[in-house]
Amino acid sequence: MNQSLTLLELNRFVREVVKNNFPDTYWVRAETSDVRRNANGHCYLEFIEKDPVTQNIVARARGVIWANTFRLLESYFQSQTGTAFTSGMGVLVRVSVEFHEQYGYSLTVVDIDPSFTIGEMARNRMLVIRRLEEEGVLRLNKELPIPDVCNRIAVISSATAAGYGDFLHQLASNPFGLIFYTKLFPAAMQGENSEASIIAALEKIYENRDMFDAVAIIRGGGATSELNCFDSYPVATNCAQFPLPIVTGIGHERDVTVLDMVAHTSVKTPTAVAEFFIDHQAESLARITDLQQRLVSIARQAISRENSELALLSKDVYHHSIAFLSKQNSEIGNVVFMLRAYSQKQLDTLRQEHKEQVVRFRNAVEHVIRSEKHRIENAEQYFEMVSPKNVLKRGYTITVQNGKIVTSATSLVENECIETIFSDGKATSEIKNIEKWKI
Amino acid sequence: MTYSQARKELEEIVRSIESGELDVDKLTEKVKHAGELIAFCKEKLTKADEDLQRMLDEIA
Repeated sequence: MNQSLTLLELNRFVREVVKNNFPDTYWVRAETSDVRRNANGHCYLEFIEKDPVTQNIVARARGVIWANTFRLLESYFQSQTGTAFTSGMGVLVRVSVEFHEQYGYSLTVVDIDPSFTIGEMARNRMLVIRRLEEEGVLRLNKELPIPDVCNRIAVISSATAAGYGDFLHQLASNPFGLIFYTKLFPAAMQGENSEASIIAALEKIYENRDMFDAVAIIRGGGATSELNCFDSYPVATNCAQFPLPIVTGIGHERDVTVLDMVAHTSVKTPTAVAEFFIDHQAESLARITDLQQRLVSIARQAISRENSELALLSKDVYHHSIAFLSKQNSEIGNVVFMLRAYSQKQLDTLRQEHKEQVVRFRNAVEHVIRSEKHRIENAEQYFEMVSPKNVLKRGYTITVQNGKIVTSATSLVENECIETIFSDGKATSEIKNIEKWKI
Repeated sequence: MTYSQARKELEEIVRSIESGELDVDKLTEKVKHAGELIAFCKEKLTKADEDLQRMLDEIA
């Protein structure tokens, strides 16, 4: 039991051993974690090292940067790297190794090499970018079309950020009278929670994605510029695969973040994001206005062309009508002339025919008269010839008995007297014999 | 009808009129329709839709 030590004795011993064995300061590569400042301006943190494959923590040490050192290092680090000294960074720090009886093992930072962090950040960005590329998502958001009407904008920002106010003001005061609808999805844009907070906001927007045309991720006006979350793989892969185009304005001066690389469009400030949307909508409006002007001008041209064609046409109609009428006139004249000539001819023919008919009629009448006259003359001759006087002269006689002409022998009686008349006298004779003939 | 459809139709009309293939009756009809499309498109870009903003505000 005499061999035993008190804890303090042991820790003093360890402290001495450490002090003797680590007399210098040493450059150490590590990742920062749980970085915090206390009221006195001292910075407390954890240094960790992760297995590059499994990402499991394989080493850990408490660290401290005393206020007088931290004031100098902090501003130097930020000016060189463009980002605040914070958790999750790969750093190269010069430390002294301490062992304190009460607080144990810790590293006291006396210097920092920002170029290592710059390299680390770049390397980290490269790794994230390469991973996104391998997964085929790096350019997905860039390939999304910005719709013609892009005025429903989901905004991821801190509600109190000055940049958010600038953004809204810029949209509202656009000179084209364009309308924008915005909805804020608040997120912490810096600090430990920023990564989870941004992803949560994206998820919320995703649930309501049909109600938006685009997403704006903006940040500005804050004092510190901590950009780690914008280089993180989870944020980047969420943004890259987001179904709406994302426009970033996260207000930093150094090289682009991974988020800027995967976003559809990346501009410097929230105001510039607003300008981007305004320009896009103004372009849509200009296209419509252009179509309108083209329409008005061609419609006007078409109408005036139609008008002049109409004028030509009406001139044509006039001329054609005149020509037509005069042609008709002369045709009618011709017809009249022809008709007159034809009528005359007809008339002449009729007259001629009439004349001929008259002649024919006269001839016929004369012929009739002549032949009638001839017939009458014949008849006269005949009658002359057959008159009893002439008949008696030619030897014929007329037999009369008792004053009556006897034409048959049957009526005669023997011994009676009959008178025989001649043309120039008569004789009375007694009938001696009657001989009757059969006829 | 969506804005894109309206704009596409509008472009189609302007093209067909510019090609001069329409007669006056069709032209008048088309110009009238184009006017309606223009008004529709401009409204989408410049006229505030309070219902829409309210719906966005209501997203929890």
